[in-house]
Amino acid sequence: MKLKRRTLIEIAVILLSGVALFLFSTHDDFMYHQAIGEVVAVKDGKAVRQTDQYKNVDYQTRQRLTVVQTNGRHRGRRIIIHNTFSRSGALDQDFHRGQHIFLTNIRRVHGTDYATASRFKRDTTLLMLAWLVVVLLYLVMHAHGLRTLLSVAINFILFLFFVQLDVTLNLTHFFWLFALSAVLFTGLTLCLVIGVNRQCLVTFLAIVTGTTLAFVIGIGTLQLTHNAGVHYEALGYATQAPQELFLSATVIGLLGAVMDAATDIVSTLFEMHRADPDVSRLQLFKSGQEVGRSILGPLINVLLLIFFAETIAIAVLYFRTGNPIGYTFQWTMELGIIQALISGIGIALVIPSASCLAAVVLGKKERSNGFN
Amino acid sequence: MASISALTIVMAVLMCLAGGKRGIAAFGSVALNFILMFIAIILISAGFAPIWVALFVGIAILAITIYLGNDDEQTARIAFIATLIVLCVMIVLIVPLDHFAQIKGFSNEQTDEIEQFTLLVGVNFESITIATTLLSTLGAISEAAIAIASGLREVIEQNPGISVAAVRRSGRNIGFQIMGMTFNTLFFGMFGGDLALFVLLYKLKATFGYYLNSKIFVSECMMVLYSAIAVILVIWITTQMMARKVKWAAHQEKPGEQQGSNVHPD
Repeated sequence: MKLKRRTLIEIAVILLSGVALFLFSTHDDFMYHQAIGEVVAVKDGKAVRQTDQYKNVDYQTRQRLTVVQTNGRHRGRRIIIHNTFSRSGALDQDFHRGQHIFLTNIRRVHGTDYATASRFKRDTTLLMLAWLVVVLLYLVMHAHGLRTLLSVAINFILFLFFVQLDVTLNLTHFFWLFALSAVLFTGLTLCLVIGVNRQCLVTFLAIVTGTTLAFVIGIGTLQLTHNAGVHYEALGYATQAPQELFLSATVIGLLGAVMDAATDIVSTLFEMHRADPDVSRLQLFKSGQEVGRSILGPLINVLLLIFFAETIAIAVLYFRTGNPIGYTFQWTMELGIIQALISGIGIALVIPSASCLAAVVLGKKERSNGFN
Repeated sequence: MASISALTIVMAVLMCLAGGKRGIAAFGSVALNFILMFIAIILISAGFAPIWVALFVGIAILAITIYLGNDDEQTARIAFIATLIVLCVMIVLIVPLDHFAQIKGFSNEQTDEIEQFTLLVGVNFESITIATTLLSTLGAISEAAIAIASGLREVIEQNPGISVAAVRRSGRNIGFQIMGMTFNTLFFGMFGGDLALFVLLYKLKATFGYYLNSKIFVSECMMVLYSAIAVILVIWITTQMMARKVKWAAHQEKPGEQQGSNVHPD
């Protein structure tokens, strides 16, 4: 009975927090400085058929929106927005009644207010999805699960701090800054997940060894082939030297997967050692390799799919505008593939480095030599 | 192309050295997934419905990753079914939420990349975004499903008479560890890939309101959140399925007892 009442209270709290968050985020316009308007009337024009030289057929529609400003000094005034949207929706969207839009360029012409739609209000969806993650974590893992969020949250703050540092310092070789951040991420995450002990230290060393080796090998290969066919300038959003930015992104991207592999291996070997303190180095090394083998493929696939999936939209745009496969590959997918390949090298290298380090630290030397 | 070929060869050799026969299988699964993703892009470009392409290619990718990454047939089957269920749940979740958030296509920050193109290319960019999100989470869910299924198999094999409640408890313990590391893999993988974007946003002196509402940031965040949901679900579902398997096995082993208790009320 007591347990049931607790469950009921929990459900009530979860549901109430969801409803409260929803109501808050749908009525938080007053917290923004930028003017926001709610669409109260929509007048759609006729869809106009458009054809380009690649025989793509699309439809464009002009719409006239009447919005009522929901925040700021001019709360309640009616504003007219002209918007054009296409059926494919690559860079535009159609608006409906009840939606909230951020407004810019508000101007008064002949007694009527006009504005331009700058951004759609998306905070409700984002916050509700974040809420869903927290609730699911709590339901499946109980309070324990919320702790996993902590390490991600701390890493995120640290990540933003290093981005800020990078922009403020404006170094020529900022790769080293992000390499340093990678070392810090590793140390911090391991301390949070494993705790400060010998196991943490062994895992940390294995990760640093594996990642450094992978980088030396990866960059060495790129240098030896003189970066043939690699277009660093294809990197999106680049505001700094693209090659260093790409390498910095690679080292951070690679870190999670390498950490995953190293933690799995080292913790299994420590567990083995706990069960049988006399276990030999060779035995430990072999078991480490065994654990590593089973996660090698899946882990590389995680990164391949993340890096590759992000290029789908841009690659489709290239293909639809008549670009050949080779050209499209080079300019949209190649950097992602290189990132996945260097990560693959890192994951393959951390398996022997983690097994070896853990075996040397834990194993009994005499038995591996004397036995057999 | 020379650089990418050289890197591929280096990776293949290292995978074979580190993983032996299973290293070769792992390389095979990575290569097959690459080809499948490429086919998916070609099909979507050719005008096939992106969500259906993502669904079919996604199922193939899951099958390849799970069956080529796992020796034990039974564990692989449970992991595969669990990931399929999660794939369906994710579609139901992603389709409406992506529509509400209107995160389709490209963002204003990308105009440098796309200004040379006509954007009226007659494909549905909302469906493409949904397909992208679905495909990008597949790696993480198959990895988590394999990890928890083989971890639990180990536990069940070592304690033959294990109770269903104990399986669930172990599932929660192992799942906790897997989840912590998988979140980090996802987090670093995704935000590491977006490093250039973050530097740009910082240089633009983006406000808090911008982060909460801009298309590019919201879509990247939602991608991470969807992956987190998918991983949590796959761990929970795999644990439930392993627990049911144990229950079923116990039921099979003691048919007499079960029958007896059934007969009793009569």
